[in-house]
Amino acid sequence: MLSKIARPSFGPVWWCLAAMAGLAAPASAHGPTRQKVVEKIAIDAPAAAVWARVKNFDALKDWHPAVQASPADKGNAEGSVRRLTLKGGGELVETLESHDDAKMRFSYRAKNEGALPVTNYTSTLIVTADGAKSVVEWRGAFYRASQRNDPPPDQNDDAAIQAVTGVYQSGLANLKKLAEAK
Amino acid sequence: MKTGRLPYGVAVLAGLVIGAGNPAAAAPFAYITNQGSHDVSVIDLATQRVVATVPVGRSPAGVVASSRAGQVFVSNPDSKTVSVIDMRSQQVIATLPAGEGAVGIDASPDGSRVFATDWYADRLLVFDLPVVPATAPPRSAPKAVALGRAPAGVAVHVSGRTVFVAERDDDTVAAIDVSTLRVQGRVRVGSHPFALAIDTARERLYALNVQSDDVTVIDTRTLAVLATVKVGKAPYGAALTTDGRWLYVTNQHDDSVSVIDADTLRVVRTLAGFGYPEGIAAHADRVYVVNWMDDRVSVLDAESGRTLVQIATGKNSRGFGAFIGAPMRP
Repeated sequence: MLSKIARPSFGPVWWCLAAMAGLAAPASAHGPTRQKVVEKIAIDAPAAAVWARVKNFDALKDWHPAVQASPADKGNAEGSVRRLTLKGGGELVETLESHDDAKMRFSYRAKNEGALPVTNYTSTLIVTADGAKSVVEWRGAFYRASQRNDPPPDQNDDAAIQAVTGVYQSGLANLKKLAEAK
Repeated sequence: MKTGRLPYGVAVLAGLVIGAGNPAAAAPFAYITNQGSHDVSVIDLATQRVVATVPVGRSPAGVVASSRAGQVFVSNPDSKTVSVIDMRSQQVIATLPAGEGAVGIDASPDGSRVFATDWYADRLLVFDLPVVPATAPPRSAPKAVALGRAPAGVAVHVSGRTVFVAERDDDTVAAIDVSTLRVQGRVRVGSHPFALAIDTARERLYALNVQSDDVTVIDTRTLAVLATVKVGKAPYGAALTTDGRWLYVTNQHDDSVSVIDADTLRVVRTLAGFGYPEGIAAHADRVYVVNWMDDRVSVLDAESGRTLVQIATGKNSRGFGAFIGAPMRP
């Protein structure tokens, strides 16, 4: 809650995504409170096929439209560190916390939020079978970038929620497109 | 009243609970703070349904349901207040100024005092209640006790004489003498202790260390560390089952719950299927787990750990504290 980090630099791509999310901005609160984003998408493709596309920690570049490169130093092993380079600039460093092939889910934590206006960010991606189709859930928990009681608008709760929502929605939409392509 | 073969104490307790007003108000309630929707979901434990949603201050986090006072105290860190809910009307009857942002909250067993940690001001706030059971909220401003950095969880000893507070950013737990309002001792625990739980029968305090993923077991009489128990990632809440056998611990980052044998202090099973579990409390033969990510409470069978039912709550539910209570007859 009170962790101090270097002031993040904001990549332009994330901001476009945040704008795409088009969320309303309610009045901001005082003091940092943990926020979350949960996005789900139904995909007309078997869960195993969808999981095969997303399961590798370093595969984000293959399905997320905003990611240029996503190398991970230890693959899908716990503790593996991946460095995201975004199209249009910006970086993010994330550590794999758990990876479960049988349950088709993995969780990771940001080591350096970089392009995202958040702190203490953790995220989980889960693929669930729905008959011959599947549902992909991407969820994250985080605090806003500013630890001040009166955060600037680009570092408040709404900015954090909008940015993460944009990342998830655009990623899932593109994953659906790829997975359902004939 | 015929007591049959019931032990005397059980009969008296049953009489107190059943006799407290109309039948709908007699069963215990769970008061779940919802940090995202700024309200409290009131669950009737008999019917396992939400019977009221009570608007409180901004981002409510901490909660204590004081059966003795017949009131529920909710910390609203973003409003810098504590909301007081009447257990019979399920309505807010007072909103008290509470420092720079209260988080953890607990009540003395006799219902005469409420203790809240003032997270941003590094102190403990002490509210005196006027009568027992209270029909009106506290009148005077709270007293304050200076503490270490980022005071979080608070737990009152059953004697009412000592209050324990987790000083998160100092990795310590402070013991405060209630009569003098002074820190009488301090013990080093694991990394970033947040929640505390008391084991009255064993004279123990459990401190949950969010960063070192373990539970420090402390003797409440000597403040000696008795053991350190490894659990899952980011333990955020603990509850001892009513029979005192099992200590349930929520592991926020593992979406799991560890079940510890309180006698041997060994983890006997790890339950899956939760969503950022945080607050947890036990009542009768059930354990109630608050899932922050999923906006719902899981009702578990205390003995087997099996999930019996899920109850939807407000948004970003936390339930940080002793959130179950039933109003007692005045």
